[in-house]
Amino acid sequence: MEVKSLNPLVLKKATKPQQEWKTIIAIYLFLAGMGAGSFIIGMLIHWLGVQLNPLSIPSIESIGLPLNLGRLPILWGPILVAIGAPFLILDLGIKWRFFYACLNPRTSWVARGFIILSVFIVLGLLIFVKSLIPVKWLYPESKLWLFLEGIALLFAFATALYTGILLKATKSVPLWNTSLLPLLFLASALSTGTMSIILSLLGTGLISYDSHTMKALMYGEQIMVVIEGFLLYLFLSRTYKVSEQGKDSVRLLVTGKMRFLFWQGIILLGLVFPIILEWISKYYQNPAILFLAGISLLTGGFFLRLGILRAGIKDQIPMQRLLELRYELIQNSKAETNPNL
Amino acid sequence: MAFLKEIQMEQKVLLVDQEKCTGCRQCEMVCSVYHTGASNPSRSRIRVVKWEQLGLYLPMTCNHCEKAYCVEVCPTKACHREPEKDNRVVIDKNLCIGCRTCIIACPFGQPFFDHKERVTVKCDYCDGNPQCVTFCNVKAVSFVNADEAHLTKKKEAAGKLANLLKQARG
Repeated sequence: MEVKSLNPLVLKKATKPQQEWKTIIAIYLFLAGMGAGSFIIGMLIHWLGVQLNPLSIPSIESIGLPLNLGRLPILWGPILVAIGAPFLILDLGIKWRFFYACLNPRTSWVARGFIILSVFIVLGLLIFVKSLIPVKWLYPESKLWLFLEGIALLFAFATALYTGILLKATKSVPLWNTSLLPLLFLASALSTGTMSIILSLLGTGLISYDSHTMKALMYGEQIMVVIEGFLLYLFLSRTYKVSEQGKDSVRLLVTGKMRFLFWQGIILLGLVFPIILEWISKYYQNPAILFLAGISLLTGGFFLRLGILRAGIKDQIPMQRLLELRYELIQNSKAETNPNL
Repeated sequence: MAFLKEIQMEQKVLLVDQEKCTGCRQCEMVCSVYHTGASNPSRSRIRVVKWEQLGLYLPMTCNHCEKAYCVEVCPTKACHREPEKDNRVVIDKNLCIGCRTCIIACPFGQPFFDHKERVTVKCDYCDGNPQCVTFCNVKAVSFVNADEAHLTKKKEAAGKLANLLKQARG
């Protein structure tokens, strides 16, 4: 039997989005995704042996050694993840107990995530430091480092996917409980990660605006934005069909209270403006417009996480469903006896 | 195995009869006093959900589900099952980090975050003597053997379904 009209009081209770995870978690999801995405792209640039220009900033010395800052703008992803992870700790009720969070990796994705993030941050920072300090006794060209880079790349993918899996694993929120969510977050991680690499390479002058590498990066980033838009459409249409709470979540985002965040934050800033601005930037050969496109894309990436997080509505409990059914029957019987109601 | 079966036979559960509940919220008050020492219903482990327009009041507490999502998602094993104590699902306050994943995972709106203690809390049957049962004047909440509860629930569900069908057919 299909319930057509609901008591507004019951509906209000049923459609209230979750209030437990808020902006702090969205900041973590964004920084972890962007950091992991930028490490993946940076590692590809590093492995492909792309020729980079000499750095335009002065060299720095540390512990008596001149630091090699040439790889800094392409391998700084783990720093972003290391900045993002404390936001997870900030959200805890008792913060100092954060290290307890790896005791149950058998079933808990929060525990697995703790391990994934820790391994990625440690390995990523090791590789980052190795690229900074040009000393022979570290054997920078050895196969062990190549192996570690490969493992770090795998964990970067796992970190980007995990941001979506963390939400999916809670199960009772239909908007999150889909395999499309980790894929959507991965696509967004790669687009925001590529853009952060573009911005850092341009800002430090390691790559000139009209170089082939820059063009390839921009094409790659635009393709990821298109894939992200397509996945977002699939994600929302699938959620709309799956259950009433899924429908409520999509309505809340697309036409409800969060419509400004969705249309202006996610669609315009995150998907439409970056592509248009990049075309304009190419047409006028103006890197300043590309910076604007970058900031727009990164802001949209944050709003994507925030929107999906704040629109999560939990599955309806069976008793609530029974009450709605009963209410519907009461309303119908009243309407039959008194058609003026 | 025989030992486990014996436990399951003796297992007791909280049974709620929403037809009897008057929405007085006495259960919330006594639960809060028993667990926290404060008469603050917002720190209670039982919550009366009210549908004023329908005149319906439903005391909601943990169901100690067979397949408990809160246990599955807990990263620290703070949320765990105690088969020897009515097969209840409890949260160890000393292990809980307050991540609130269990709150999001539970489809029944449990457990609750205690803002004073900064951890998640839930019904633990008051160690075998539930205060909500003792103090409920209209006996809307009872602590009964699991088998008995299932039978009562089945009877109730059948009765409700029959009534609904009767109304639907006019």
